[in-house]
Amino acid sequence: MRDLKPWLDLIFRRPGRLVVGGVLILATLLSGIGLLAVSGWFITETALVGLLLAAGVAATINLYVPGGAIRFFAVSRTVFRYLERVYNHDTVLRLLTDIRVALFQRLSRASRVRRGELSGAQWLSRLTSDVDSLDTLYLRLIAPTALASLVTLLVVILAAVLFDIGTALLVGLLLVIALVIATVGVYLRTWRLAARQSDRQEELRTAVIEHIEGFSELTAAGRTGKHAAWLMRQAHHVTSEQAKADTRVGWHLAGSHLFVNLSAVLALWAGFVLFQSGSVSGPVLVLLPIALLGLAEVYAMLPDAFGKLGATVASAARLNRDCRDEEKPAATAAPELPPKTAVLAENIAVKHDGYAPLFTRFNLEIEDGDRIGILGHSGSGKSSLADVLAGLLPTAQGRLVCKDCVYLTQKTVLFEDTLRANLLLGSPEASDTELWSMLEQMELAERFAMEPDQLDTWLGSAGSRLSGGEARRVALARVLLNPAPLVILDEPFTGLDAETRTRVSKRMETLLEGRTVVSLAHGPDALPGTDRVIYLSG
Amino acid sequence: MAEPRARGGGENTSATDQRAVKGWLGNLARGSQLWIRSTVAAGTVAGIATIIQMVLLARIIHLGVIDEVPVADLTPLFLGLILAMVVRALGQGFQTRFAARCSEQVRRDARRQLHKHWQATGPVELGQSSAGTLAREWIDHVEALHGYFARFLPQMTLSMIVPLLILALLFWLDWLAGIFLLLSAPLIPLFMALVGMGAEKLNQQHFETISRLSGQFLDKVRGLTTLQLFGQTAGAAELIRKRSDHYRRVTMKTLRMAFLSSAVLEFFASVAIAVIAIYIGFGLLGYITYGPSEDLTLFSGLLILLLAPEFFQPLRTLSQHYHDRAAAMGAGTEILERLETPVNLESTTEMASVEGSQERIELRSVSKNFRSDQLVLRDLTLTIRKGDVIALTGPSGGGKSTLLHLLAGFLAPDAGEIHLFGEAPGTFRFGWLGQKGFLVHGTWADNLRLTTPDASDIAIETALRNVGLGSVLDSRKQGIYSPVSEEGQGLSGGQARRLSLARIFLADYDLILLDEPTAGLDSDSEVFVLEALRKLAVAGKTLIFSTHHQALLTLANRVLLVSGGEVRDA
Repeated sequence: MRDLKPWLDLIFRRPGRLVVGGVLILATLLSGIGLLAVSGWFITETALVGLLLAAGVAATINLYVPGGAIRFFAVSRTVFRYLERVYNHDTVLRLLTDIRVALFQRLSRASRVRRGELSGAQWLSRLTSDVDSLDTLYLRLIAPTALASLVTLLVVILAAVLFDIGTALLVGLLLVIALVIATVGVYLRTWRLAARQSDRQEELRTAVIEHIEGFSELTAAGRTGKHAAWLMRQAHHVTSEQAKADTRVGWHLAGSHLFVNLSAVLALWAGFVLFQSGSVSGPVLVLLPIALLGLAEVYAMLPDAFGKLGATVASAARLNRDCRDEEKPAATAAPELPPKTAVLAENIAVKHDGYAPLFTRFNLEIEDGDRIGILGHSGSGKSSLADVLAGLLPTAQGRLVCKDCVYLTQKTVLFEDTLRANLLLGSPEASDTELWSMLEQMELAERFAMEPDQLDTWLGSAGSRLSGGEARRVALARVLLNPAPLVILDEPFTGLDAETRTRVSKRMETLLEGRTVVSLAHGPDALPGTDRVIYLSG
Repeated sequence: MAEPRARGGGENTSATDQRAVKGWLGNLARGSQLWIRSTVAAGTVAGIATIIQMVLLARIIHLGVIDEVPVADLTPLFLGLILAMVVRALGQGFQTRFAARCSEQVRRDARRQLHKHWQATGPVELGQSSAGTLAREWIDHVEALHGYFARFLPQMTLSMIVPLLILALLFWLDWLAGIFLLLSAPLIPLFMALVGMGAEKLNQQHFETISRLSGQFLDKVRGLTTLQLFGQTAGAAELIRKRSDHYRRVTMKTLRMAFLSSAVLEFFASVAIAVIAIYIGFGLLGYITYGPSEDLTLFSGLLILLLAPEFFQPLRTLSQHYHDRAAAMGAGTEILERLETPVNLESTTEMASVEGSQERIELRSVSKNFRSDQLVLRDLTLTIRKGDVIALTGPSGGGKSTLLHLLAGFLAPDAGEIHLFGEAPGTFRFGWLGQKGFLVHGTWADNLRLTTPDASDIAIETALRNVGLGSVLDSRKQGIYSPVSEEGQGLSGGQARRLSLARIFLADYDLILLDEPTAGLDSDSEVFVLEALRKLAVAGKTLIFSTHHQALLTLANRVLLVSGGEVRDA
């Protein structure tokens, strides 16, 4: 449950909205209960007065107050329900924004090493569903529980005022039992099942994917049927656990409903005793049990929400784990670079957590304006070295000082956004002219001049699809727009044909005039112009 | 997204599609008829218990307040009331229990159907869809059927039965009040349509917003490192906020309208109760001098009031479950699309007229084309002796893989006959090694026993050593009972392929088909694979593989050139 705390804090940062939303729900609930209770009171009152009138006794009845109240509650229930739904839906969407933004900020602070393990499609889709389960926490769980408790309290007070303290306490006791069955009871009986559900489903997914990937081999060996039967059993296991949780929620709902009903019976019984002793009138006697029956609707939302709480807590725990801040090495005062030096690495070791070091005792000194090429076959640790130089990966030992740098990663990363937005990442202040001229240099100007939206062409899956080489050049353009004095390029020309590569490479000479360039590639023809080449032997 | 694309009633789904999906869902329902009926029966019991509860409640109040019967004399009625409440709770409880069982069975049936289809489709065609997509259909889309069968479908019947029961009772008590209710819900179907329209639109809109927002969000998370490199994380966070906010405003505009339809239902329910309460009050006072109101008593009046909300309750529940229907329709559309992809493999097993020599693989005038225009193999006749080592070579796209797939029975020929040692393809067990090795989560032993369940520990270890995985095995603490991928110690692509090869060693097949067994391997793995194949060849197995690799070509005792639809000895 502690895992929920950071997210609850986030949700409670909008107290005003939460309170207004809660008040609207309360008004809806009270209108519903009020409508029935007052109607019951009214019918009993008129029945009694009607009997007197029929018997010829002069009796009066105030029709306006109850009649008005009934009409008011009928309308207010509808109006409040509508307002509540609109208002709270808006709140949910706002909370969704808050949670996404907060999560994004936390993820961007978390160390990259962890994120590296967690960037697969499966992790991303799980992240989405985890976030989704948090954004309804308020509307499904917090508000209904708080309001159910509040309404219960109000009804118990009403019982104390209309009947007596003893009855009120007994009714209160039954209602508390109903409330516990609908909330804590459900949680205790389902949290294990619910928390496991997501993990189970992921395990099942892995197994299904393995089954499909091995389908040829399994078919050849005549084992698809057997293996599928095993999969079906696994799936059935997941399903039946879910069915078990569902059934428990159902029984708790029924149980809590039963106790609410019993409290109405109790109120009626106690009411009769009071009625016959003359301390309570007939209409008031009717009012309380009917109001109590109405409570069932208030409690009805709870079991389902508490049945999912276990899964929500598990979601929160996963999110907390994924974006926990890694202990950062104490920021020592950055040592000064010797004059005219862009990179100074002394005796550094490059190492990923849990793996053998890729390099130890690596030394490198690069002077201002130098063009260095680093060559090595795949798996030799080039990209890790680039990550270290760019400061993405901490050095395991030794001393490394670099100037401000801009880094083209081996993987081309473009955002589902406009071309302009993608380019402006490199240089937020760049003018359209500068962007076009850079596109010209990368031989992309013609390509995008033909698009109807020009610089506002949407990139990514929903928009115009770029070829691998085009995407690479957009990423390269973005890097070259950035004025940092040190430029690190990891396989800059992936996906470019030889001719384009030669032309672009030539133009980069001028574009990078006066800046220090470190390029990494698998072969010499994949490097831009260099003064010096270092070979890595893995 | 874990959720399937819910697009029930959306523009992309044509009316016929909808009908087909409904038909399919109906068939699934028929398979679990017993559970659905039990669910409805339990719900009906709960409904009847509710009516009895209200009757007893009204009766008790009438007796106590009007007739002033002493409370002790009411004890039997009170006991009856509590009994009705208990029965009602039992009904509700069993309703969810049966509903859960129903959905369980439906999901199992749907999964079985999908898997049958996979088997009929065969590995080659199945490979056209990504494993992730297929897994999503098998897991998530089938899960999306849950709400429809557990909640919506039974509630659909219940929302007819229970209100009709109540209405009948109301007409008997006071037909004018009955007419009030009937008028407030002029026709239940009309109500349902109203609710449905609103709910469907709401569901669609909400879903679109959420998925678009999560798409945007995930895109930024995916590129977080890039954003960090350019120092733009704060800007991106701001962008997420702005975009989310924009979508919120757009969505809320639609939602304000969509919520109106459920407000209408709410309004009718509230007004009906109010009108009935006031009508009864005035009737009891004797102010209404026409119709049945003269016969009203506190009992009948109160009962009508208590039953009025119960009349609307099933409908309101149904409207809450409406999104289950949309989700099931969306998921059903995609599952049905999969189930309706034509399969071309079914003929293979029937073709099994056993003839031809047991000592030879024979292909007689076999043709195969993909799409009508693209001929891959033309009128191919070929004989391969048992124990031969055959290399298939030729340009990529020349038909090497197709020939292997035909021999494996993964594809059926368009014309001609294939006999493998006197049997039809796909009717006996053989070894297959694809370009990607295949391993499951688990121990080395689990992985090898996948295809040879009764293999001994020693046999498993020998097989692993035969493919050069001995050194990896020695480094693991529990030998063949250690997990294949321990933390930080996954297998490389080459090692995975060798693991698959170990399965073939273990199973002792007569025929082994391999698709480019050395392509893309590191030099270590290459040596081991070559050595392993040589051992298999020496053991007298029939090996057929496609390759460009010189060392493999020399291993073969016959090299076939597959090119332009023809096969000839090279």
